[in-house]
Amino acid sequence: MEQAFAYFTIAWLDPSLLLLVAAGTFAGIYIGAIPGLSVTMAVSILISFTFSWEVNDALCLMVGIFMGGVYGGSRTAILLNIPGAPSAIATALDGYPLAQKGEAGQAIGIATVMSVIGGFLGILVLAIAAPVVSDFALTFQPRDYMLLGVLGILLVGSLSGESLAKGVMAGALGMLIGAVGLDPLTAQERFTFGIVELWNGISFIAVMIGLFGVSEALAQLHHLDKAAVRQQVSKIVPSFSAIRKYLPLSLQTSGIGVIIGALPGTGGDIAALMAYDHAKRVVKDPEVPFGQGAKEGLVAPETANNAAVGGAFIPMLTLGIPGDAVTAIMIGALYIHGLNPGPMLMIDRPEMFWFMVGNLTLANVFLLIFGLTGIRLFTKIVECPRGVLIPLILLLSVVGAYAVNNSVSDVYWMLGFGVLGYFMKIYGYQVGPVILGVILSRLIDENWRRAIISERESLPDFFLNLIASPLSAVLLLAVVLIFVSQTPLWPRRRSPR
Amino acid sequence: MDQKRQRQPGERGFGIMMLGLGLFLAWQAYGIAGFEALSSPGAFPMAAAAAMVIAGAVVVVGDWRAALRDRPRLAETARAFTAEITPSVVVIFAGFVIGYAALLDTLGFLPSSFLFLFAAIHFLHRGPVVLSFGVTLLALTVIYAVFRLVFQVILPEGIVPEREIMAWLGGLVSGGAQ
Repeated sequence: MEQAFAYFTIAWLDPSLLLLVAAGTFAGIYIGAIPGLSVTMAVSILISFTFSWEVNDALCLMVGIFMGGVYGGSRTAILLNIPGAPSAIATALDGYPLAQKGEAGQAIGIATVMSVIGGFLGILVLAIAAPVVSDFALTFQPRDYMLLGVLGILLVGSLSGESLAKGVMAGALGMLIGAVGLDPLTAQERFTFGIVELWNGISFIAVMIGLFGVSEALAQLHHLDKAAVRQQVSKIVPSFSAIRKYLPLSLQTSGIGVIIGALPGTGGDIAALMAYDHAKRVVKDPEVPFGQGAKEGLVAPETANNAAVGGAFIPMLTLGIPGDAVTAIMIGALYIHGLNPGPMLMIDRPEMFWFMVGNLTLANVFLLIFGLTGIRLFTKIVECPRGVLIPLILLLSVVGAYAVNNSVSDVYWMLGFGVLGYFMKIYGYQVGPVILGVILSRLIDENWRRAIISERESLPDFFLNLIASPLSAVLLLAVVLIFVSQTPLWPRRRSPR
Repeated sequence: MDQKRQRQPGERGFGIMMLGLGLFLAWQAYGIAGFEALSSPGAFPMAAAAAMVIAGAVVVVGDWRAALRDRPRLAETARAFTAEITPSVVVIFAGFVIGYAALLDTLGFLPSSFLFLFAAIHFLHRGPVVLSFGVTLLALTVIYAVFRLVFQVILPEGIVPEREIMAWLGGLVSGGAQ
């Protein structure tokens, strides 16, 4: 125990390592805030710089960037309705309406504190229950992943706004967009129309920036003469009573974040969307309705996506399996530095495990410091006149979409989806379900096919084994319950007033 | 978001277009592997397209019923669509954006972005030319420095010989250091 603590505090006591974690977290926040610059991209670029470094130095910087980047995406999601990272998509749903009311500072303050709480809980689970959680994650069969995807797609119900049919339509469109390209299992072309550029599919980032950023910029053209909303920046740090009020919800959504983060192939984006849906179900009387600036709609995704960071480290450190794209790159970095992430890491090099846990904790502390500073400057962005802000959003969107694959076709896709999103918003179709469909498309498609192949194409066997497995049965039950709750079959009780 | 929204001009047409898109994608999905197997590459796209078509049909029927109730005139709807959904400011700005995207590859990032930003800010903000010019220059410098110089993101070069300028500047700096 003493030894573990000594390893835990290595970065805390070494000024140069401390500085690297701080620099990484700071850079991560601002990289995460810029659409098109992803944490994955930043970490992969930095790896080339850190090949010749000491492994400890390299890990300190990368952990800081990861932690900061997942949080940083919330900044532009709140201020401009452009999620800086996919994990901030759900944050935009209530964060942006808050900024439109002049409460951007408060929204960023809540997002910061809740991200830190979620981050700490994720790290706590990593520290005390990593082997148990990773064993649990390994029991997931393809059919369970598929059910998880279906559970996710049922969020369409809570993201649909006024019409469930429009939400389902948008979600299905998203799934079809996600299916464009070469089939990952057989390499057969799907919706490519013989165009080679479509073999890799449509960039998810281009779709996201188009539907959120460009469509919002176009919609804002209707309000050019409206004065910019003055932002209140007097109460940035949320009060203790507010934190206490949201604590039960943040604990629940952190749990969702850790579990989703620990599952290979899923990450902060899915965790945040599921947490948002959970909040909509359990919070019966928010002060403001969800989608119009409910603080709970901000708390849930922000705790979940940062808790997912700790979760993603669990399979990485204990099994050598990446939880998401960033941990996949980090595994590569660990190999380059002569380490062997997996079951033997805890036995051969326990110091590395506790060193990582210490770094994550330190990065979370810096997240609180950097997250709560500079907000006044950031909120000035939304006070900028619309005539200047709208072209800037467009330019940033173009650069962001181009930067992903250095391809002008991504810019065209982004603009196309921007125009589609503009009409969708005007005609009451929410853009959230489209993104949800794109994110979950591959998860459902691949795992459905793996599951049915393993049952030799027999549907009865598939359902029998689904019910026979306790985990699958629980997931199926959750799917059925959530589905039924969205239909008129569910008795709707009105709360007594 | 949950409050009742007023029906907008062109809503029925948009619904029909989305349903048409769903039908087209369903036909395309069927073309991938037909009803070959449950695990075929076309199985999931067909299911998703079917969901889109069914939901689209529900939306279109709803819109149709509302149209029967409200009885909107085509000329009136077209006028309202132009005035409310695609007002001149949206159309002109969309034109700027399309022009920008078209010029991005040929002219390069710096000149095309400069032209777009200057024209769009001047058109939308309607401030003095000097202000539009200053804001454009400042914003472009910051974005270029962050993306191109700090994060080494490759942006379309076009007619500006960026690499040569960078190499010349690099030589100047290293020469100065010596």
